[in-house]
Amino acid sequence: MTAVPVIASIESENTRTLRHVFSVILREPLSLLSTGVIVLFILMAAFAYQIAPFPEEGAGKTHASNTLLAPSAEHWLGTDKLGRDILSRIIVGARPALMIPIGVVLFAVLIGAPLGALAGYRGGWLDEVIMRITDLFLAFPSLLLAMAIASALGRGLDKAAIALVVSWWPWYTRIARGVAIGLRERYFVEAAQAAGVSDTVIIFRHILPNTISPILVQATVDMGTVILAMGGLAFLGLGIQPPSPDWGLMVSEGRGFILEQWWIATFPGIAIFIVVLAFNLVGDTLRDIFDPRQYK
Amino acid sequence: MQKLEFFLRRIGTSLFVLIGVSVITFFLARVVPANPAALYIGPKARQEDIDRVTKQLGLDKPLPVQYAVYMQELLHGDLGTSISTKRPITEELAGRIPATLELLFSGMFIAILLGVPLGVLSARSQGKPLDVGVRILSIAGVSMPAFFLGLILQIVFFRNLHLLPLAGRVDSDLRFTNPLTEITNFLLIDSFVTSNWVTFKDVFLHLILPAITLAAYPLGLIARMTRAAMLETLEQDYIRTARAYGIKQTIIIYLYALKNAISPTLTVIGLTFAFALTGTFFVEIIFNWPGLGLFTVRSLLNLDYPAIMGMTLFGSLGYVLINLIVDLLQAWVDPRISLK
Amino acid sequence: MKRFTLLVSLIVVFSVVLSACGGAAPTKAPEPVVTVAPPTEAPAPTATEAPAVPLVLKYASSANITTWDPIASFSTEAAYMAQMYEQLLRVNAPGSAEQYTPLLATSWEKSADGLVWTFHLRPNVKFHDGEAMNAAAVVKSIMLAKEKAGASFIWLPLSTVEAVDDMTVKFTLSYAQPLELILGSEYAAYIVSPKALDAAAANENYWSAGVDAGTGPYMLESYKADQEIVLTQNKEYWGGWQAGQYEKVLVQIVPEATTRQQMLESGDADIVTTIPADSYASFASNPDFTVSTEPALFNYTAFFNTMKAPLDDAKVRQALSYAIPYEDIIKIGASGRGTQSHGTAPNGVFPYSTDVKQYTYDLEKAKALLKEAGHDGGGFKLTLTYASENSTEEAFAPLIKDSFAQVGVDVTIQPMQFSEQWALAKADPAKAQDMFLLLYWPTYSDAGGDNMYSMFYGAKDAPHLNVTKFNLSYWYNADYNALYDTANALSGTDLAASLAKYTEAQNLMVDQAPAAFLFDTKVAIVTPNKISGFKYNLNYPDVRFWFYDLRAPK
Repeated sequence: MTAVPVIASIESENTRTLRHVFSVILREPLSLLSTGVIVLFILMAAFAYQIAPFPEEGAGKTHASNTLLAPSAEHWLGTDKLGRDILSRIIVGARPALMIPIGVVLFAVLIGAPLGALAGYRGGWLDEVIMRITDLFLAFPSLLLAMAIASALGRGLDKAAIALVVSWWPWYTRIARGVAIGLRERYFVEAAQAAGVSDTVIIFRHILPNTISPILVQATVDMGTVILAMGGLAFLGLGIQPPSPDWGLMVSEGRGFILEQWWIATFPGIAIFIVVLAFNLVGDTLRDIFDPRQYK
Repeated sequence: MQKLEFFLRRIGTSLFVLIGVSVITFFLARVVPANPAALYIGPKARQEDIDRVTKQLGLDKPLPVQYAVYMQELLHGDLGTSISTKRPITEELAGRIPATLELLFSGMFIAILLGVPLGVLSARSQGKPLDVGVRILSIAGVSMPAFFLGLILQIVFFRNLHLLPLAGRVDSDLRFTNPLTEITNFLLIDSFVTSNWVTFKDVFLHLILPAITLAAYPLGLIARMTRAAMLETLEQDYIRTARAYGIKQTIIIYLYALKNAISPTLTVIGLTFAFALTGTFFVEIIFNWPGLGLFTVRSLLNLDYPAIMGMTLFGSLGYVLINLIVDLLQAWVDPRISLK
Repeated sequence: MKRFTLLVSLIVVFSVVLSACGGAAPTKAPEPVVTVAPPTEAPAPTATEAPAVPLVLKYASSANITTWDPIASFSTEAAYMAQMYEQLLRVNAPGSAEQYTPLLATSWEKSADGLVWTFHLRPNVKFHDGEAMNAAAVVKSIMLAKEKAGASFIWLPLSTVEAVDDMTVKFTLSYAQPLELILGSEYAAYIVSPKALDAAAANENYWSAGVDAGTGPYMLESYKADQEIVLTQNKEYWGGWQAGQYEKVLVQIVPEATTRQQMLESGDADIVTTIPADSYASFASNPDFTVSTEPALFNYTAFFNTMKAPLDDAKVRQALSYAIPYEDIIKIGASGRGTQSHGTAPNGVFPYSTDVKQYTYDLEKAKALLKEAGHDGGGFKLTLTYASENSTEEAFAPLIKDSFAQVGVDVTIQPMQFSEQWALAKADPAKAQDMFLLLYWPTYSDAGGDNMYSMFYGAKDAPHLNVTKFNLSYWYNADYNALYDTANALSGTDLAASLAKYTEAQNLMVDQAPAAFLFDTKVAIVTPNKISGFKYNLNYPDVRFWFYDLRAPK
């Protein structure tokens, strides 16, 4: 079959760019440091209950006699109104803070990329329909749309996550479509068509793999934005609900104490800032090399 | 001719998008779990009162009919009545637009005023410490949650340094000593035009912290984008040629390169306007700023669905308009675009 | 370069156009700056000495306006309504020498059976719009309130109200009730100018522009939605004016407690509503301020769903009542400002009685009772809902969860918007929450009937579709209902006998434990020492300050 060597060549091209992505990250000291920070936070989330000094308090157990303690040797970052150790809350809170945005971006990619590939590859009326729907969703400021959806669905982490996926998928559709249009006319796609390979197979085996690099770059950049958006929704009371540990929620809870018990809001705020900064620094480095917008 | 066609097509798409937005917001609002009529009159109401309000709000009719009625009222500029304030949404929004725009423009003014030069500076010294510094600063700007930055600024500048006011648009006392004639409801403009300098100064001081909080995100984006666009332009042949001719670096950068880098920067400025619009939500909450954001967030929390719909529509309209204007401007600045 | 300059100027033009679009609209109506016509009389002769800047009280308040309609008003705007409108009388704080303060009525008498009441009105009182306050105005206001007020149900006992002559009004009740308490209500009892009521009947947006038509000491000068309210003296107020009373009150609506605290500290506000619960200590140690803690009408209840297993078993409910950490809840939820409830009637309000039994915090007893009920070691799950806008409930709900966990009961906490929490509770009890946290206060200080009736007086056939809409336990107990009816009937004539019956009813209820009675709140109020005349009255929970009482520093 003629298709086999063609596929092999694309795949090697693809792994080459992926390897390139990582080599770029590793070359640049700031993004290397940021990658380290991200890995550290992911490890922290994974082993939260092993690391946290008061794992039960991290998950929400109250400690009425320890209420509002300032940072000390025992409670490095102090305690909140319910006597819970802030450090433990931040460590356990790293789970939703990282997992949910990863899930959101993943689902947005899973919905957006195939649609975009289909639109770009097929062209014609299908392209027109898909892209107009995409335009429609992009016509809302994404956070406003997410807020409206979150408030309509009711509160909760799952609903906030759905709201964000709905607002984010069109970006990936655009990118995948751009790649697909570029590939549509390429010889290996035409060869596959000539060999009678079905459209589905072409899209999934030939087109989508080529969207991985630009989408990976965009996804890294989006991670920071989605973490901020989740934090924002929680801060407004539309996202994750208490007593779950969540950074945005902790900032919101700590607001009333900011004048006297400053530590309650400050540390979770710093945690958000550091993680988002790390993702953005890595994303920025990647974007300098592979600008995903060139496909739009 | 091509330009006109592009222009018309672009406006056509915008209209289509707006109609779609109205459909989505309408059906979104009908997903709300709680009965809007019951929300409208509160928990101590009797069933017959709820039924009466259900009828009064037209909620007993089938959905398509409700949508038709909604659209009809919309075309007459009627967005319905707020559940929590019981006032027409158009009035609620209109009364708050100047406050939000004043904040938005001030924030964007800071962002553009600082962002563009920082980007240029950064591009000029690519790879040097200055470049790295600007880079970290601008990425820190887009990474800082607005709701956190606002809190920190309040603590530092109000609580610790006693330099700037805490919240609000203007010190209300001034209404008795230096009453302000409200013309546009942009307090800076009004106090300037009427030479009410005491109020002008006070309004200006009140604007600083919210505007900085709002500016952080767009500032970062604009600086990054300007830098990227500048670098791209500086790579191009005619710049190299200019260099070869020995034209001064400053002239090359500000006269030739910036001019060509402005088009992508413009796109990003348009985009950040929209980001900044949602940014105002957080800034207005933190600074008790009586604008659209404060109203929207309250509506979201109270499930005031007509208000949410109105605000979503309005926000999208602003977004679509800004995008349309940016596209048209770009087509005009860079004629190649209309051919795409 | 030219194009660039052009571009910049275009952006500027665009901004200005946009601003104009935004700016043009408000001139129409949205930010109504309504000026209530000042009395035509010339200012007092002292005007020459008066400073150019009026004496202004600055108030940072959390209370927003949901309506300016004094009849419909049933929410936080009562804080301002009480400055502009008056009832026939005011109910004094418990422990006062007199039970009532006459306002628009000067005296009244009732028939021996407590059904017919005659009120004599204060002569020569004018509404702010110049209309005379008379019997016709009273009848019109009360009739309208009974018909369509937000709190119209308080007038259920009223049969007719009629003008005997220009200055005398006769109320006829269908059953005996202390009518003074209803007339003194902070909602649905204001006397309003008939001219304004007619105007409002003709134009449903009449009030929403921000107008007032009362007789009170202050008038509405201007109002900006969500921002500020300016009240100004009604120079013709029948109570007269003294030196030191504020000429204007500038109310700033500030939803954030932290912001209000900072405004109070910096002097941007003279008085505020609440500050963050844990910040009162810093004011208590400040020589410029006084922090007072007063009893309030509010209390917190945790309803058990008595229509769902295992909570349909009174033993289980009793066990759980023993497993609630009352002290910690008060300490953390209310920063120590509260007392454990004795039944449902709030502290300081009839028929509150310390003879009503309380549950102690006793986990061993709870475990034993669970075992007796066939749930050894717990082993069941409960869902608990609370109103996410209520930060007190948010603070103490986890304490209940943790404590129940110790007796083997697993609680899932579900914060919801109050309206959603309510919708869930009112749909189908079998699918509703197991526990419902509620902050409740009686609509008016009504001799205890409200709490005991509204929350626990069940209907036999369909307890969840109860006439008493806050019956969130879906509880029905015939003996309780009978005791309540007897006590209520006695309240119009023999208070001591009534109290005894009410206490009996409450003890029966506490024993059956359809709910856990958490705590009665206290309110903390910070006042600057330079301002004097502050009077607290728990019967008016939304009011806090009567600006007329306050005196500026000399």
